[in-house]
Amino acid sequence: MVVASTAGTISFREEVENLLHAEEGVSLIRCIQCATCSAACPAVEFMDHTPRELIALINAGMRDEVMASNTYWTCASCYACSEKCPEGIRPADVMYALTRYSLWKGTFNRDWVAPDFSRRFARTILRTGKSYEPGYAPAFIFEGGFPGMVREMRMAVRLLSRGRLPLIPSRIKRIRNLRAVVARILPLDGIE
Amino acid sequence: MSERRKVLIVDDDPDFVAGIRAILDREYDTVVAYNPKDGWDALKKDRYDLLCLDIMMGRGAEGVMMARKIRRDKELRNMPVLIITGLREQIAFLFPGQAVHPGFVPVDELMEKPVEPDLLLQKAAALIGASEARQGR
Repeated sequence: MVVASTAGTISFREEVENLLHAEEGVSLIRCIQCATCSAACPAVEFMDHTPRELIALINAGMRDEVMASNTYWTCASCYACSEKCPEGIRPADVMYALTRYSLWKGTFNRDWVAPDFSRRFARTILRTGKSYEPGYAPAFIFEGGFPGMVREMRMAVRLLSRGRLPLIPSRIKRIRNLRAVVARILPLDGIE
Repeated sequence: MSERRKVLIVDDDPDFVAGIRAILDREYDTVVAYNPKDGWDALKKDRYDLLCLDIMMGRGAEGVMMARKIRRDKELRNMPVLIITGLREQIAFLFPGQAVHPGFVPVDELMEKPVEPDLLLQKAAALIGASEARQGR
């Protein structure tokens, strides 16, 4: 949608859709509010707005409510909603678009675990080429309080006993090649 | 400078677009595309004297991809590109306090958001002038 020199600005919905211009899927205006996405979502009980509500808020142009919502940070990226949407909307892609939007605009809540985790994850991948779970533990193990900590530690022991948890971080071969690939897309300087 | 030059702005942030447009409209005819795909279509359809390009759009650093694509295109190669980015501020979270590497993308000039109106006009005029001198117009 190229806007001529006299035209005004665009709506919040169009702004979100522009973030999705390279993805498949149809316009959010097609949403019929059937809530199939919300019913399919395994993480919906942790969200303050269900995916259906979030799409309604976007279509209504309620930017502040959408940005303050934890819905898109809670999304587990299972893509059940995108699979099941009868109209062909891809809500999971919308969730990703909104996380990017909030990072770029700096509107995300600094107390949330998810943005911090994303940063640590990206950093780990750039250093070693793979995820190293014990590396995240010190930052997040206290999130669930004492019971959460005990739960996590029992899980870690079980994983360790089955050889599913590496104690020493390993590195992929030719990590420099991976870094070169990423450097084509993003400036690496600041991730580390 | 008898006729007004044409400037294309490709940026997905409507507020920022409204801002730089208000500045550039004083001296240029501006056209806006709010995503890289529409921007590319506009470039193919019409000739522009300057492109103002944002970096972080769509799935990621698509402005970078677009700048590289333009440099590979025979017709568009000579068009001056001014990258205006909030990169450092927008994703300070990912890139805290680092300058963008100069070899990162082949553009003529890079400015950081927020832009100074006078500086923007100055840079736009310089880029258009240099490009026209290069092409002998």
